[in-house]
Amino acid sequence: MSIQNLNTFDPFADASKGSEDDVQDGLVHIRIQQRNGRKTLTTVQGLSSDYDLKKIVRACKKEFACNGTVIEHPEYGEVLQLQGDQRENICQWLTKSGLAKPDQLKVHGF
Amino acid sequence: MTEEDSIFDPTLKKKKKKKKTFDIDAALAEGDTVESAPSAADELFKDDVDDLDLDLKKKKKKKKTFNLDDLDNALPDKEEGEGEGGNQDDVAMDDNFDLELDFSKAKKKKKKKKDLDELMAEADDKQEDKENVERLPDEVDESSVQWMSSDRDYTYEELLNRVFEIMRDKNPDMVAGKKQKFVMKPPQVVRIGTKKTSFANFTEICKTLHRQPKHLLDFLLAELGTSGSVDGNSQLIIKGRFQQKQIENVLRRYIKEYVTCHTCRSPDTILQKDTRLFFLQCETCGSRCSVASIKSGFQAVTSKRAAIRAKTA
Ligand SMILES: [Zn+2]
Repeated sequence: MSIQNLNTFDPFADASKGSEDDVQDGLVHIRIQQRNGRKTLTTVQGLSSDYDLKKIVRACKKEFACNGTVIEHPEYGEVLQLQGDQRENICQWLTKSGLAKPDQLKVHGF
Repeated sequence: MTEEDSIFDPTLKKKKKKKKTFDIDAALAEGDTVESAPSAADELFKDDVDDLDLDLKKKKKKKKTFNLDDLDNALPDKEEGEGEGGNQDDVAMDDNFDLELDFSKAKKKKKKKKDLDELMAEADDKQEDKENVERLPDEVDESSVQWMSSDRDYTYEELLNRVFEIMRDKNPDMVAGKKQKFVMKPPQVVRIGTKKTSFANFTEICKTLHRQPKHLLDFLLAELGTSGSVDGNSQLIIKGRFQQKQIENVLRRYIKEYVTCHTCRSPDTILQKDTRLFFLQCETCGSRCSVASIKSGFQAVTSKRAAIRAKTA
């Protein structure tokens, strides 16, 4: 949990955006979704667009031995999608490779 | 307290003080509030007391779960087995084993329950404490009769029992008001068929937490990355298969973010919506802070694409 009260707060930030989807909250959201049966998939939203997501997904697929893809979303930008529950793996990998700091990662789900 | 003091003066006072600090710390420092650098010795002692406290409670529970019948059954069996030997031994072993199994199961259950309680803002503990208070006098009196007159070394456990008993006896308000707890029932989670899950006491839990069902619903569904709705029996039907402990996990995060005060961890808070942000206003310490808005974010397509196409086309 970060100290939200100390974050700089721009009162006009959402006025200019006009909606409450402050997509760039600087966090990397790692979520899990259930598919049919026991299958799940993991999504990683909010990785900086400076990174080549395609390269990242290639590395992840190899590292976690799972399939994965990059999805271009109009609102959330490029989102990483991996098969299975890779939340632990991706957290460790992102931290280890220095792509995100541990306090930037927000893991959702059960 | 006066008479006891005269007998127990140094140790009792010391222990009492320490116990008190432990309790307050535990109440406040639960979660991730950083404490203002307690000394190493203090920390150590706290741990000690904590352990012992848990032990104590466990023991109580053991006693409760083991009723006399069980013991009566167990003891003769064992003796028989030992006396006659042969295949009787096996039977006895079996019995013992069964007993052990039963016991460990019971213990585990209790333990699990305690875990849950502790983490869920320590629900039910109050009742437990009450039970302890009610139960303790006889037991301690009994045991103190046993060892007070004897010449042997008293075990730490016995002394601790005694000191706790005296403390409770002399300060009934300390037990009642030592921690701000709210009674929280565990979520009742039942699978419906193969694809849906029912969260039966959803509405009840919302009431306990003093939160709008919609708010908790939004959070649950966003976190679980699924859809669902409250049905006519005020239970929440969630798409997907979820276990109780998974729902519990999510609930715990909800409580941490949206129910307990971020400053003092008191659950006595109000969640207000101000313009677009939710603020958590604490009724205990008066702090007010914004809480994260609930966003489900990116949702991957998990249903059959063909079905979606058919729907939209
Ligand atoms: Zn507070």
